[in-house]
Amino acid sequence: MAVIEAEHLSKRFGRKVLAVDDVTFAIRAGAVTGFLGPNGAGKTTTLRMILDLVKPTAGSVRILGARYRHLARPATRVGALLDASGFHPGRTGRNALRVVAAGAGLPYARVEDALAMVELEGAAGRAVKGYSSGMKQRLALACALLGDPEVLLLDEPANGLDPEGIRWLRTFLRARAAEGRTILVSSHVLAEVEQTVDDVLIISKGRLLAQGPIGELARTAQPVVRARSPQAEKLEALLAARGAAVNRLDTALAIRGPASAEVGEVAHANGVVLHELFTEVPSLEDLFLEIAGTRREL
Amino acid sequence: MISLLRAEFLKLRSTRTSLGLGIAVLLVSVVPTVLLVAFLPTRMLNGGELAAGATLVTYIVLVFGILGMTNEYRHGTITYTYLATPRRARVMIVKLVVYGAGGALAMLAALLAAQLVGVIGLPARGVSYQMPDGGALADYARQIGVAGLVTCFGVALGAFLRAQVVTVAGTLIWALLVEPLIVAFKPGVGTWLPFNVFGQVTASTIMSDAGGVGTQNGLARPEAFLVSVVYIAVVSVAAVVVSMSRDVT
Repeated sequence: MAVIEAEHLSKRFGRKVLAVDDVTFAIRAGAVTGFLGPNGAGKTTTLRMILDLVKPTAGSVRILGARYRHLARPATRVGALLDASGFHPGRTGRNALRVVAAGAGLPYARVEDALAMVELEGAAGRAVKGYSSGMKQRLALACALLGDPEVLLLDEPANGLDPEGIRWLRTFLRARAAEGRTILVSSHVLAEVEQTVDDVLIISKGRLLAQGPIGELARTAQPVVRARSPQAEKLEALLAARGAAVNRLDTALAIRGPASAEVGEVAHANGVVLHELFTEVPSLEDLFLEIAGTRREL
Repeated sequence: MISLLRAEFLKLRSTRTSLGLGIAVLLVSVVPTVLLVAFLPTRMLNGGELAAGATLVTYIVLVFGILGMTNEYRHGTITYTYLATPRRARVMIVKLVVYGAGGALAMLAALLAAQLVGVIGLPARGVSYQMPDGGALADYARQIGVAGLVTCFGVALGAFLRAQVVTVAGTLIWALLVEPLIVAFKPGVGTWLPFNVFGQVTASTIMSDAGGVGTQNGLARPEAFLVSVVYIAVVSVAAVVVSMSRDVT
């Protein structure tokens, strides 16, 4: 069952900026979906359209079967981290959350629970203006968790976090996913979400380039065979003659086309010494670059 | 609605804006009254008519209303406000109600503070303090009501324009400079301009009766009140409509 369904979603700001261009996707329940793309790709605008903060120019989007504004007590169904700086600097962290909790009709006890979840109880009595960017990010995350929602939309949650914070966030997301929540997490730093996501949506320049389980997408990516040889030039010529795409830097070769076994056999048959030979599993970043570079759309 | 009211009251209580408002209101109310009570010849001291800073309080609550709305955009809190309550019309209506009440309460506090100065200061000048009579109480009631309306006007302007500095500066320049010039040079037009209309509602009964400020600019008090309500209603409805369709980016 799809938790979020977008159909032909587009958003144009003024005449010149087409932020999101005819995007259609579905987010399945219980999965952690990475919403990936470079800065300015249209991720935030899409998330804000899901949450009824930005009005689509065309198309429609439903979350839990309805428009966000039509959900009963939406904060108890959907939690969103959109803007970690979206708190009044003079308000304490606790009061910032209480304001949101009150508006959403939630008891203040939930504020304390959410603060504990993001490990911010100790600083909750301080004004937000004294928070580091990592603390503001945790506060925004606590805000998303106030209603104990079944769906979480997180826009660049790792922004401002130090390496320890990013590790904490990864563990945190895994724990929430293990509880069966649906999580849509956007990021432009692919390595941050690579170990966390089940599915991915890849967007660039407002266009959706790919969507699906990360394993399936990885299988479609062409693996790269890496070889190192003192006779790299000779091996490059042999492989190129067999139709392989080969890039050489000094003694190192990156080969697309043949499998590593075939490369090894060619080298052996022609007396080429190999110091290293392995197949590189494409990372999410490789996958993104390949899709962004070769496919125009799904 | 109750939860929204709770949220708006908490917003008011949890920053220093309200504290600043309170201090400013008391200052502009108490200081002129103290000066009047201390230095005005005793024959000119009216034991119950003490509202020297009421006009200034009206401008303070106007700015208070503008800040109440524009702060949401300035600090980006509008995102969380609309996520918690996506029905934006309700958010705007509750804000208008809460800030309107806040503005009226601020004026009430200012008037009470001025009375307190009278209670303490007048006997020291040898003038007996008198409880405000019916006319003075009616003046005060109008000032309280208009303060509430003006605060709503500020909230609606803030929702409409969003940019804090532009809205505060533009509104004050309009109210304190442009409108008085129009009233002076084109009184037929100026009579109908908003801040002049608000002023006609609150113009002192005593001063009007004596031929001073008040209704001499054209509108009878009931008319002025009606036009004030129309102004507030039009700007508030426009603010609600604009807020409902505006992108929060």
